Amino acid sequence: MKRKTRFLQLALAASLLFSAAANTSSLFAADATSTRDIPVGGSGQMEMVGTIDPTILSVTMPTFVPFNISNGVSTQNKVISPRINVKNNSNVPVRVDVTYTKVDLDKIKNIEWSDNGTVGANQIAIGLKQEETKNQMPANLTQARWLAANKKQDMNVMVLDANQEGAMYVVGTLGQAVSENATFNVTPTFVVSRTSIQ
Amino acid sequence: MSKRKKAALSVIGILLLLLITVAVCYFLFTKSSEEDLLYDDNATVGIMPGVDLDERRAQLQEMLDRSMIAFSINTSPVFLNGTSKGNLLIENPGNNAKLLQVSIRIDDTEEEVYASKYLKPGTYIDSVKLDKVLEKGTYHATAYFSAYDEETQEYIGQTGAQITLTIQN
Repeated sequence: MKRKTRFLQLALAASLLFSAAANTSSLFAADATSTRDIPVGGSGQMEMVGTIDPTILSVTMPTFVPFNISNGVSTQNKVISPRINVKNNSNVPVRVDVTYTKVDLDKIKNIEWSDNGTVGANQIAIGLKQEETKNQMPANLTQARWLAANKKQDMNVMVLDANQEGAMYVVGTLGQAVSENATFNVTPTFVVSRTSIQ
Repeated sequence: MSKRKKAALSVIGILLLLLITVAVCYFLFTKSSEEDLLYDDNATVGIMPGVDLDERRAQLQEMLDRSMIAFSINTSPVFLNGTSKGNLLIENPGNNAKLLQVSIRIDDTEEEVYASKYLKPGTYIDSVKLDKVLEKGTYHATAYFSAYDEETQEYIGQTGAQITLTIQN
């Protein structure tokens, strides 16, 4: 009985020793694999995982542009306009377009809209012009972009680089016969889009 | 007079008294407030002519500044199929102080394919399902952001951003 017990103890000790040795060697083997050097002229595989980040358009701009127009203004541009500030907070360049302008002349009788900046006695023309001198309303109408009334338009008014700020003004003119005692509504829709134009 | 008759009369009396009270209250609070707000027909909307040009410009500037909004949107959201969610990533930043509502229309057809509810300042929508099921393909669309006053819910104005929707399957 005593011999049998000693034999069993010996067998157990041997198996423990063997398994420990095996584990150590496999550990070394694993280590060797994970940090192995690839010899010059040899080959190895490496997985590269790429994630495409979405391009976010982030802009600060007005949703409503109030202005006054009067023949009493002495310059060629007859509009008193606030500074229309647009800020591109994105990491990509953007363009600002006017896609549609709602014009309501119902409160003024016998008055027509001009789409091109040239006005007759009973006409009004309103457009947009980029700022030339900081905080100064444009005095003339050169390079103004004219708003077309109540129809689709694809008119670019500004291009801004990444994180750039820009400004424009409402400009316009009106014929001598247009009454100054009336109000009318002009509502342009500004649409920003990503662009590659610099 | 019988007891039942007396009780019926007192109930009718109380009801009449209640009706009179309601009528008086309605007259006082509704009618009088309408009378207080009589708008002058001679008033013209706008700034009075003759006011200093710079002062007038400053007033217009204040009106424009109040209408400024900031917004963010993914320029090319992708949808696995017509009924799955896509990464629209619409944001109404915390400094806006306005409610935003977003409507997405396909440029070619003018069809509205998505309309959000109001977004409070400092909130964003990560991914959404479109309201209309679109076939596989690429669609040029415009996301219109309508701004509303946070306190009065009054409409202020609208601006847009051009995006491209991709439906993969």
